[in-house]
Amino acid sequence: MSTQSTLDDTSTAAGDGDAPGRPRRRRRSPGTPHASGTVGGLVAKLVLMAVVNAFGVFAILAAWNEESYGILAAMVALLVAADWVYFSRRTLPLKYVLPGLAFLLVFQVYVVAYTGWVAFTNYGDGHNSTKEHAIEALLVQNERRVEGSATYPITVLERDGELGFAVVDEDGDVRVGTAEEPLAPVDGATLDGGTVTAVPGAELLDRRQVLERQDEVTTLRVPFSDDPEDGSIRTQDARTGYVSTSTLEHDAEADTMTDVTTGTVYSPSDDGWFVSPDGERLNVGWRVAVGFDNFSTAFGDSRYAGPFLKILAWTFAFAILSVVTTFLLGLFLAITFNDTRLGGRRIYRTLLIFPYAIPGFLAALLWSGMLNRSYGFVNQVLLGGADVPWLTDPWLAKLSVLLVNLWLGFPYMFLICTGALQSLPGDVMEAAKVDGAGRWRTWRSVTLPLLLVATTPLLISSFAFNFNNFTLIYMLTNGGPRFADASVPLGHTDILISMVYSVSGLDGTAAKNYGLASALSIVIFAIVATISAITFKRTKQFEEIS
Amino acid sequence: MATTSAAPRVRPSAARTGQPRMAPGRWFSELGWRHLVGVLAVVFAMFPIVYVVSAALSEGGTLTGSNRLFGEVSGSNFSALGDSMFWTWLGNTLQIAIATGVGTVLMGAAAAYAFSRFRFRGRRAGLTALLVIQMFPQMLAFVAIFLLLIGLGNVMPVLGLNSKLALIAVYLGGALGVNTFLMYGFFNTVPRELDEAAKLDGATHAQIYWTIILRLVTPILAVVALLSFISTFGEFIIARLVLQSERNWTVAVGLYGWVSSLLEANWGLFAAGAVISAVPVLLLFLFLQKYIVGGLTAGSVKG
Amino acid sequence: MRRSIPAVAATLGLALTLAACSGGGADTPEATTSATAGGGGGSGDLVVWVDETRQAAVEEAASAFEEENDVRVEVVLKNFEDIRADFLAQVPTGEGPDITVGAHDWLGELTQNGVVAPIELGDRSGDFEQVAVEAFTQDGQVYGLPYAIENIALIRNTALAPAAPATWDEAVAAGQAAGTPYPVLIQTGTEGDPYTYYPLQTSFGAPVFAQNEDGSYSPELAMGGEPGHAFAQWLQAQGQAGVLKTDVTYDIAVEAFKNGESPFIIGGPWMLEQFEGLDLSIDPIPSAGGQPAQPFVGVQGFYVSAQSENALLANDFLVNFIATDEAQLALYEAGNRPPALTSAAETASEDPITAGFAAVGADAVPMPSIPEMGSVWAFWGVTEANILSGAAEPVAAWDKMVADIQGAMGS
Repeated sequence: MSTQSTLDDTSTAAGDGDAPGRPRRRRRSPGTPHASGTVGGLVAKLVLMAVVNAFGVFAILAAWNEESYGILAAMVALLVAADWVYFSRRTLPLKYVLPGLAFLLVFQVYVVAYTGWVAFTNYGDGHNSTKEHAIEALLVQNERRVEGSATYPITVLERDGELGFAVVDEDGDVRVGTAEEPLAPVDGATLDGGTVTAVPGAELLDRRQVLERQDEVTTLRVPFSDDPEDGSIRTQDARTGYVSTSTLEHDAEADTMTDVTTGTVYSPSDDGWFVSPDGERLNVGWRVAVGFDNFSTAFGDSRYAGPFLKILAWTFAFAILSVVTTFLLGLFLAITFNDTRLGGRRIYRTLLIFPYAIPGFLAALLWSGMLNRSYGFVNQVLLGGADVPWLTDPWLAKLSVLLVNLWLGFPYMFLICTGALQSLPGDVMEAAKVDGAGRWRTWRSVTLPLLLVATTPLLISSFAFNFNNFTLIYMLTNGGPRFADASVPLGHTDILISMVYSVSGLDGTAAKNYGLASALSIVIFAIVATISAITFKRTKQFEEIS
Repeated sequence: MATTSAAPRVRPSAARTGQPRMAPGRWFSELGWRHLVGVLAVVFAMFPIVYVVSAALSEGGTLTGSNRLFGEVSGSNFSALGDSMFWTWLGNTLQIAIATGVGTVLMGAAAAYAFSRFRFRGRRAGLTALLVIQMFPQMLAFVAIFLLLIGLGNVMPVLGLNSKLALIAVYLGGALGVNTFLMYGFFNTVPRELDEAAKLDGATHAQIYWTIILRLVTPILAVVALLSFISTFGEFIIARLVLQSERNWTVAVGLYGWVSSLLEANWGLFAAGAVISAVPVLLLFLFLQKYIVGGLTAGSVKG
Repeated sequence: MRRSIPAVAATLGLALTLAACSGGGADTPEATTSATAGGGGGSGDLVVWVDETRQAAVEEAASAFEEENDVRVEVVLKNFEDIRADFLAQVPTGEGPDITVGAHDWLGELTQNGVVAPIELGDRSGDFEQVAVEAFTQDGQVYGLPYAIENIALIRNTALAPAAPATWDEAVAAGQAAGTPYPVLIQTGTEGDPYTYYPLQTSFGAPVFAQNEDGSYSPELAMGGEPGHAFAQWLQAQGQAGVLKTDVTYDIAVEAFKNGESPFIIGGPWMLEQFEGLDLSIDPIPSAGGQPAQPFVGVQGFYVSAQSENALLANDFLVNFIATDEAQLALYEAGNRPPALTSAAETASEDPITAGFAAVGADAVPMPSIPEMGSVWAFWGVTEANILSGAAEPVAAWDKMVADIQGAMGS
């Protein structure tokens, strides 16, 4: 059966194709003109490239205007690559790969790279943003209204080009001040119903003007008096003002925070906090690079050591069994309905696609209801009132997870196998039949190997998908039932990715730590990628031998 | 399978006409068991769906609390969909899913053609890289995609947040990957002699690709289109991140919103929406089925 | 026929791409205006995140605000479950909303990450129920504008049980006398529901955290020891007697009560929509351990983003347009949660059901908003469920739970 190795690449082909095929190809590639074979093709190509170039140049200009230099660089690179690929004669394969590759690079490789970068930072609760934001937040949080102080109706005005407030004080007098000049009484101001309507020498801002300058208005602090201890007037809505004082001050030059009530000085630390000499730290921190810290903490918590091995084993079992069960069922059904004499094939096939047409999260929620021990449809109706603890017994829960995943996944395999069976070269099958091979033998030695060649990469990626099938576990069992002997909230059906979710606090049981989660994701990625790459290589060898 | 292996070989043409004359035992070993398997499989596949349909037809109620199938039948949930933005969502979803499906087929097929027919440096590494890159756990992707779209949106608002086009672009980022493999396998089953012959006749690589290869692999193109359409249809994690305003949502985002808060869950409406949104998928499957299973390729490959 | 697929696909693809482009094009003007306006530092659209139950009410208040200030308020519908994480992730990028709806127990996390700005309620703080403002206060600053107070109570089907039970045992006896399948319904699930079970736990004198003199919580677990053991043993007894079951989920409990399968359910105002047509009475939760059964009270409110470029508009909107009787009553009608504004609460209390919840809420304790609270939930519920189902021995399981929570808080 050497014909089937036509499927493979290099060595290929199988006796008859190889020897004459390769030289011919070599001769052609520099020599023959391509894409210019027809005028129509050439025109189509030129029009397409014109559109691509127009779009590319537009994007580059826009990026230049917005000063987005990262995007600018990426766009220039992509455009140059596109023109080179489509107008050069040496880039034949790239002509076909580039469109998909461009999207892949921008939207997938970037995501992986960004996650890789986050893995080396302390991004998470308390370190959620930049240092500027942290300083801003600390200052805002520590500006307090002076206790017992009054509420003042205020009006925003502009005097000598400076923004200021006109305030009606307790005695009904109008006082005006700006950021530089403390509040002072003015004469000749007019009042209407408690608010200032005119101040000599100053222009009052109407609502629209205030809104246009709302940043300036909300950041404006007008000293209440000459004594800084009295605090300053500020407003949040340009209608009422409050006297407030700051308990924390930022020294931009020394880059320290000072608590003005106690005099304590807080200086920035390497791990993204402001820390006082005696180790006390301010509430809000910022994101900094922390090197390999996330990777070492990932394996440092002894509470996770016990459950980890169990979860690792189950993750592999789950991923492998999911692939095997869905593939076998899908294949079996595909073969079953691959007989043209069978009536109602269309109906069977369409009904079998149904589970795949229902969004996955719904299916998991639905099944968790149907598997409820006392009220679920399965126990109550299908099993006539049985009392099977589908989701609460460790082994049954694992079985349930696999069963639900079988329900969710077999239509995919069914589709692929159906497509595969249909695409098998008919002559090979005919030949096998003519050779007198029985149905089982034909199937085993012709159909299955051909199918496996085409589907092995899909089985590998199905394995990877299930390895990280967070939605199913989360919606169906949420990892439960819990390990009775562990001190962390993990359970018998947890897989690595749902463990990451819990360890890094994304489920809300601890402080969120995106840095740690990213580091763990990278580790999982490394595991899956290695296994897959090795398996992939193995199957290649296998194909070549057979 | 064991029971069937002993059955004598029947050429399909003879069998088609011979069906009525089959003896019952023979009929069962040839076809009857297939019906038996079919019925069992359909029951397995459909009973949860029947449950959903029952919930969609009941008035109000909950999804998980009731085992009385079709205890009450009312169309109120379906008519209530009209008061929500469900139909807008469905329109959005169709736009996005079809555009993504078409884009995925075009890009994936082109890449598969290159990997299958050309020998170039980095080909094997490229294939392995494709296989590997899509295995990255996407749980944390939201931060990166969000930042990326903010940046793109500043430059080109059509590709920024809250744009359907941006979402399609994100989905197309996954157009290679698994689809390329699926198609690569089938491109390899198309005998190389065909292109060689065409080449000798003076056809360019583009002509070979568009007029010969693509036609021969129609079943797998249809499968990829369907798979891409379905997965786009049900995807909600990235969609709800990108599409922020309600009128841009997809069905999955909207439906998820109806049940995400269990305290305010509206299961009836949700079930009705889920049932309706399964219809396009099934229609598409029915439409594509003849390409997937028509057996169209057999003849031409033989030639 | 064979030729048609690629051709059809290509045509279709082109058509759709164009459609998508034009669709995108239609969005562009808006996107551009908001971007430029945002970049200009003011008077852009005010963006408010709400969930479905509050959408209509906020839009109503927004239209009045739009008229007066000549600005546009964009009310963005989000899933309530997503808001907290999205707000934390998006505010630092400058993309988040100006205002978001939220619960008071997020406060610790939001301030720790510097994503919320304080709101000066000024003299208006006196207009709110005291517990509501306190819930949004941290370290002397108010960070949210409260609009609703919610808590659970005992909902009684008066057709099945004519009188309010004073103790848990009375409730169970009354339920059994009613001859319904369930004496009392409490949503549990296999992961437990410590929020709904909390009043029963406090009736044994085992609050989750110790409270300081001013009512704020200290991160010191208080549910261990004798009172905790007593509660655990009580749980086991209820499970053995078949009164409470882990199979009863929210859905199942609500459905059963709706169908008249129990005279009592412990739950909140969000259930009421399902119970239309039943004659209900809202009663205090009966004590199981002899001490008062105090549920958690949760306060819903609006937060202002620390990175808002429309801080002035945002504050103005909240203080002068949401803190009004009309807005608070509209929100109340949308979600059935009693308003936080005292005058609106009084209006709402004309409804005996709302008054009933408010009366129970008066004796309730605020849900802790300290960050340590996050470490508690995951262990708490499952332990309760395991004791109920008989999978765990009460005292040992409870002690292990306390130790595990301590471990999680320390890590």
